[in-house]
Amino acid sequence: MTTETLLQEAGRILAPFTQSSAAPESNRLDVVIAADSLTGATAALQAEGWGYLSAITGLDAGPEAGFMEAMYHFCNRAAVASLRVRLPRDGQPEIATIADQIPVASFYERELSEMLGVHVIGTPDPSHLFLPDDWPDGVFPNRKDFNLEQAAPVQREAPPVPEQGRVGNKFIVPIGPQHPALKEPGHFEFAVDGEIITGARMRLGYVHRGIEKATEQRSWVQNLYLLERICGICSHTHTSAYAQGVEKLAQVEVPPRALAIRALVAELERIHSHLLWLGVAAHEAGFDTLFMASWRDRETVMNLLEGLTGNRVNYSISVLGGVKQDVGPEQVRSIHKSVGFLEERIRYYLNVVSTDTLFLQRTRGIGAMTAEAAIRYGALGPTARASSIPRDVRIDAPYGAYAHFPVSLTLDSRGDLEAKFAVRLKELLVSCFTIRAIVDNLPPGELSVRFPRRVPAGETVSRVEAPRGEAFYFIKSAGGETPERIKIRTPSLCNWTSALNEAIGHQLADIPMLIAGMDPCFSCNDRLITIRRGDTAHTYTWQQMRAWREVRP
Amino acid sequence: MTALVALLFFPAGLSLILGGMFYEWADRKLVARFQSRVGPRWFQPLADAIKLLSKEEIEPLGVNRLLFWGLPVLALAGALTAGLYVPVFGLPPVHSFAGDLIVVLYLLSLLTLCIGLAGWNAESRFSIVGATRTLTQLFAYEAPFMLALLGPAMAAGSWQIGEIVAYTEQHWMIVLQPIGFFIAIIGLMGKLELPPFDAPEAETEIVAGALTEYSGRGLALFHLGKSVELVVGLSLVTAFYLGGLGNPILFLLKTLGLLFIMSIMQAVLTRLRIDQTVGVWWRMGALLALLQILALVYVAAR
Amino acid sequence: MVKIGSLFDALASFFRKPTTEMYPFERPEVAARFRGKLVYDPAKCVGCNLCCKDCPSDALEIITIDKAAKRFVVRYHIDRCTYCGQCVQSCRFKCIGMSNAEWELAALNKEAFEVYYGREDDLAAFMAKFSGSRPADTVQD
Repeated sequence: MTTETLLQEAGRILAPFTQSSAAPESNRLDVVIAADSLTGATAALQAEGWGYLSAITGLDAGPEAGFMEAMYHFCNRAAVASLRVRLPRDGQPEIATIADQIPVASFYERELSEMLGVHVIGTPDPSHLFLPDDWPDGVFPNRKDFNLEQAAPVQREAPPVPEQGRVGNKFIVPIGPQHPALKEPGHFEFAVDGEIITGARMRLGYVHRGIEKATEQRSWVQNLYLLERICGICSHTHTSAYAQGVEKLAQVEVPPRALAIRALVAELERIHSHLLWLGVAAHEAGFDTLFMASWRDRETVMNLLEGLTGNRVNYSISVLGGVKQDVGPEQVRSIHKSVGFLEERIRYYLNVVSTDTLFLQRTRGIGAMTAEAAIRYGALGPTARASSIPRDVRIDAPYGAYAHFPVSLTLDSRGDLEAKFAVRLKELLVSCFTIRAIVDNLPPGELSVRFPRRVPAGETVSRVEAPRGEAFYFIKSAGGETPERIKIRTPSLCNWTSALNEAIGHQLADIPMLIAGMDPCFSCNDRLITIRRGDTAHTYTWQQMRAWREVRP
Repeated sequence: MTALVALLFFPAGLSLILGGMFYEWADRKLVARFQSRVGPRWFQPLADAIKLLSKEEIEPLGVNRLLFWGLPVLALAGALTAGLYVPVFGLPPVHSFAGDLIVVLYLLSLLTLCIGLAGWNAESRFSIVGATRTLTQLFAYEAPFMLALLGPAMAAGSWQIGEIVAYTEQHWMIVLQPIGFFIAIIGLMGKLELPPFDAPEAETEIVAGALTEYSGRGLALFHLGKSVELVVGLSLVTAFYLGGLGNPILFLLKTLGLLFIMSIMQAVLTRLRIDQTVGVWWRMGALLALLQILALVYVAAR
Repeated sequence: MVKIGSLFDALASFFRKPTTEMYPFERPEVAARFRGKLVYDPAKCVGCNLCCKDCPSDALEIITIDKAAKRFVVRYHIDRCTYCGQCVQSCRFKCIGMSNAEWELAALNKEAFEVYYGREDDLAAFMAKFSGSRPADTVQD
C-alpha cells in the first residue's frame, strides 16, 4: 500500500469525526476533531488496525491566541495521521483518556497534563512524570507564559514510606537513583516476595533538563547542538531528525553526498550503541569478560568516528543543509579496515551469546514477550523486532540516503532476552553491510547548501530509526529565527512498559537483565511512572489498575 | 614464646593477612589480564585495607550494636584461627590435633555465617537479600565441599590434617580422586563467593549484598577475613590434592596454579542466579561428591 | 555439555599486551580532524560576528576597542565551548580552525579559561585599555 492510499484510508476511517482536515505534507494528514470525539476516533483507528500511536504533542498557541492544541500522532509505515484537538487555555482544559485503549498513551498523557496543564479525565496514573514532587501546582512549563520565578519549590509532605520497607509480607527493594546497576539515575521499586517480583514501580525525571522548552530560546543553528546532547549514544539520530525536519520546512534540498555521509555516521553510531549495550547487558548478567571485550572493540568504532568527524561521541557532523566533513579515500580505507575487524568480532559475540551455556541460563526464556503483548505495550525498535513486530523506520519510511542504500529487516520470533541479543547483533551485521555499500558508492557532489536564517512558518513531522527504536520529532516554525515548538518523543519511553510488565513473576536477579534488554536510555526519555502491585505473580490489566488506584488512599 | 610468635606473626597472624593480600592481588591481576586490562599494582590490596581502616564508620540506625561491631572481628578471628591448623605457605600447621579438619571447616563456615548475620542485622533491603543469598549458598555448597575434603581424609584414614597431608605427600589425590578435586575447586569458589557463584554480592542487583551497610573498619576486617579465607582454602585444597607439603616454594607455585585455574573460571563464566547456583550444587555437586565417596568405599572394601 | 563461548578469547587476551592506554604516561594518537581548542587567524577576521551568533553556548565574543579603526579582540571561553565546530563552519573567511594538539585544557583556576585572540597591536591596546579590571561583558547577540 502506498502512503497515499494509507492516508486516504485514514481519512475514510476518521470521516465521521472530522471537523476539518488538511494535508500539510505528502505523507501527513491533519484531522481536526472535537475533544469529545477523541475516544471514538482512536477506537475507530484501533479497530481497523491503522497504525500505532507514536506521540502526543501538546502545543500552546499563547495567551493572545487563547487556545492550546493536543495532537495525537498515529504512524502507519510512512504515513502520519495526526488528530488535532483544540482546547481552551483558560479554566481547566479537559480531554478524555485513551490509555484504556492504548496503554502506552498513559505516559504521553501524563507529560501532557504536567507540562501543559491539560486535565486528562480517567488517566490511570495522574501523578508527575518528570517534574519533581515539590513543583508548585498550577505552573505549567510548556506554556508560553511560563516564568521561571513561578517555579519555586513547594514544601509538601512526602508520601508515607512503608515501615521497614515492607508492604504486607513483601519487601520493597529500591534500585536507584544511585545504584551500581544503573548507569544513569532512575528510581525503581520492586516489591519482592523472597526473590520473586510481585510489583514494579518506576520514576524518572532525574536528568530532565527542559530541553523542549530550551529550544524555543535558541536559534535554529544553535538547537542543532542542543538536541545533539540529549543523549551520548544516539546523538546523531537526534541531529538527523531535527535537521531533516527543519530542512523540509525550509524546503532546502540536501545534496545526496551529504545524505549518504549522514547515513554512514548513523550506521556507525548504531554499531557504537549496540556494542555499548552488549557490554552493559553482559555486566548486568555478571559476565564481565564480555563487557570488557565488547567495550574494547567499541574503541575501534569510536576511533573511526573520531577520524571521520573529530569526536568520539557527539559527532556534530550535520549542519543545517548538509554535513561538515567529507569522506576522502583515506577515510574510506580506514572504514573498510575497521568494519572488517568489527564484523568478525560481532560474529564472535553473536556466537558467544547464542551458545555459552551459562549465559543462556540468564537469557533464554526470560522476559519472553509475545507479539500481541509487544503491540499492546507499544514497543519499538529492536525490543519489538525481537517479538516479530516488523517496525523499522528505515524500511517503513525511508529517509535520507536509506532510499538508495536499503537495509534489511532483522526479526526474531522468540521474544525473550536471547532474541533481543540476537536481533541487535544481527542488525549490526546488516549495518556493516550498509556501511560498506555507502562508502563504495558515495555519490559525488557538494557537502552542504546554503541555509536561511529564518525558517518559513509551518509544521513538520520527522522520524528516524535510532538504535533504540523510532525517534519522533514534531517541529513547528512561526517563520522566525527560533522554533515555535519542538516535540521529541524518544524510543526508550515506549519500551519501559514492556520491560516492567515482563518483570512481574521473574526473579530479582533478572531485573537488571530485563531492563538492560530493552536498552534504556534515561537521558533520552526521563518520563514515566508505572504502578503495578500484585499479591502473587498476578498481572493487572489497565482497568484493574485504575480500580486499584481508586481503592488505595 | 615461639608459640606466641607463631600465632601473631609467622606463619599465622600477620603473615596470613599479608599472604591474603598477595593472593587477592594475584587473583585480581590474573582476571584483569584475561579481560585485556592491566590490573592493579602489587600494593593495591594493602592500600585498600589502609584506606578502609582510616575511613569513618557509619552505624546504621536500628542495628544491634554488639553484633554490628563484633561480627567483623569474629569473622576475621575465625579465618585466622582456621589458618593455625592448615599448612599455609608450605609449612606444617602451627597446631594439630585429631579431628582438626572438621574444626577448620566449621571455622571457615563461621566467616560466612558472620557475614550472613551481619547482613540480617543491618536492616537494609539490599543487605537482607544478600544475607539470605549468602546463607542459601552456604547450605548449598557446604555438603559437597565437605565430602570432597572427606575423600583424601578417608584415603589417609584420619581426621587430622597433619596426618592427611603426610599421606597425600606420597599419593597425589588429584590423580586418585579427580572428581573430588573438581568438586573441591568449585566448592572453594562457592565458599569464597567468586564468580560464577557471586550472587550473594551481585553488584548490579543488590549493591554489595550483606556488607552493603558496612564501611571503614568493619568492612576492612570482613575484607581481610575473606582474603585470609582465600589463602586457607587454597592451601587446604592444594595440600590435600596436589601432593601435600614438600618444598615451600613448590607449594606456593602449586597454590598459584590453582588460583590460575580459578581465575580463568571467574573470567569466562557468567554469574548464576541464586536458584541456579543451588540447583547446580544440590544436583550436580552432591551427586558427584557422593559418587566419589562410593568409589572410595568400594575400593577400600576390596 | 557445558559450552563456554569466550574461553579462547580470554586465554588469548592473557598472552597479549593489555589494551589499556596508560594515560598520561602514554599519550594517544589524536586524529587529524579532532576538535580541540580554537585556532584563530587574526589576519583574515573582519569581525562579522557570525561565529558568535551561531555559537550554541556563547563561548565567543568580539570586544570592540575602537569601532572606527576596526580594532577588536576575540574573547574565547574555553569552559563554555562545546567543541562542536559550528563557528568553523559559519566563518566565511576561514579564520577559525580547531586544533588537534591542544586538548588537555584542564586548569586549576577560572582565569585560564578566558583566552584572548587578536592582532598583536590590538591585543596590546586591549590589555592597556582594560588593564587591571576585567571589561564588562560585551556579548554580541
